[in-house]
Amino acid sequence: MGGGGSLGREPKVKRGSFATKRKKKKRVGFVLDMTPLVDIAFLLLTFFMLSTTLTTPQTMEMSVPPETENVEVKQSELLTVLVRDDGQIFKYMGDKNTEKPQKISVKELRAVSVTENMRMENKLIMSLRISPKVPYNLVIKILDELNIAETEITQRLSAKGMKRERKFALTPMTPEDVEDLKVL
Amino acid sequence: MGGRIKKKRPGFYLDMTPLVDIAFLLLTFFMFTAKFKSDTENEQKFKITRPVASADTSKLPDKDLATIKIGIDSVTNDTSYYYSLSNEADRKVVYSSDKIQIPDDMRQKVILKVDIKNLEALLRQTRMANVRMKFAIDADKRITYKWIEDLMEAMRKSNATIFNFVTDRQN
Repeated sequence: MGGGGSLGREPKVKRGSFATKRKKKKRVGFVLDMTPLVDIAFLLLTFFMLSTTLTTPQTMEMSVPPETENVEVKQSELLTVLVRDDGQIFKYMGDKNTEKPQKISVKELRAVSVTENMRMENKLIMSLRISPKVPYNLVIKILDELNIAETEITQRLSAKGMKRERKFALTPMTPEDVEDLKVL
Repeated sequence: MGGRIKKKRPGFYLDMTPLVDIAFLLLTFFMFTAKFKSDTENEQKFKITRPVASADTSKLPDKDLATIKIGIDSVTNDTSYYYSLSNEADRKVVYSSDKIQIPDDMRQKVILKVDIKNLEALLRQTRMANVRMKFAIDADKRITYKWIEDLMEAMRKSNATIFNFVTDRQN
């Protein structure tokens, strides 16, 4: 801001007044003690550093079908995944009387979802039935795997020029399922 | 060191300017990024250990958010539903509704401890008060799926069909 000093020469300005555009001389040997300033700055810095939480929670979107809607599903297009009380996962395609439920692990679930969905090309409906006694932690793990599979399916389908339409659905367990799981 | 008394060196001066520059730079950064605890978190008497997920990375909105928490009380070990709204205006309308059966002194609170029946009424009232409201389920990872199942049923009945599970990022 002191750049305009050389332009307007005003001879009648008193020496010593603040408006003087006189060149400031660098004071030799002048030292400002910055220690208290640094103290306060670091104090505040430490406070803000410790009070901030850098890990913000993220979300996983889900949806449930509205009450009025009742979806009819062809049995041949239905993949059922059952999760038992002890956390064991079983899957079967279509009718459980013709195909015996197979035991799979959480890690395998992703591959199963991708291959089955690619085979059926958008027609597959995945019904996830989880026992009420399963810990929530495992539920999220399963949903996470399925969500990861979902991105892969969407990618593969778009490579074929198709759009992903269906997702998996969470359905309550029927008493029949509970009986089935006991035998397995 | 060595027990010898350090002599003060006269005329010794360390230039602290770059240090101060960096310190202030960091200070400004942390000051602007700092996010303080909301009213809800202040009133909350339990801690939720969230499950971890890696698939979705979308963040939780600050406004128009209704959070259903399922927490385990650290003292009594009881699990319960807790309901909170981010907007104060909505809170006033929804919490004072006569459709919800809670003691009158509880209506002033930010976070409500509710049972499933009241929760359903709350969800319905919230939907009526603000259509843009987003729903988030913030549950402790130790609870059983039954709590979620019941909650989803209540959400279905009150037409809040889209919701989010709150998770922590997996490292």
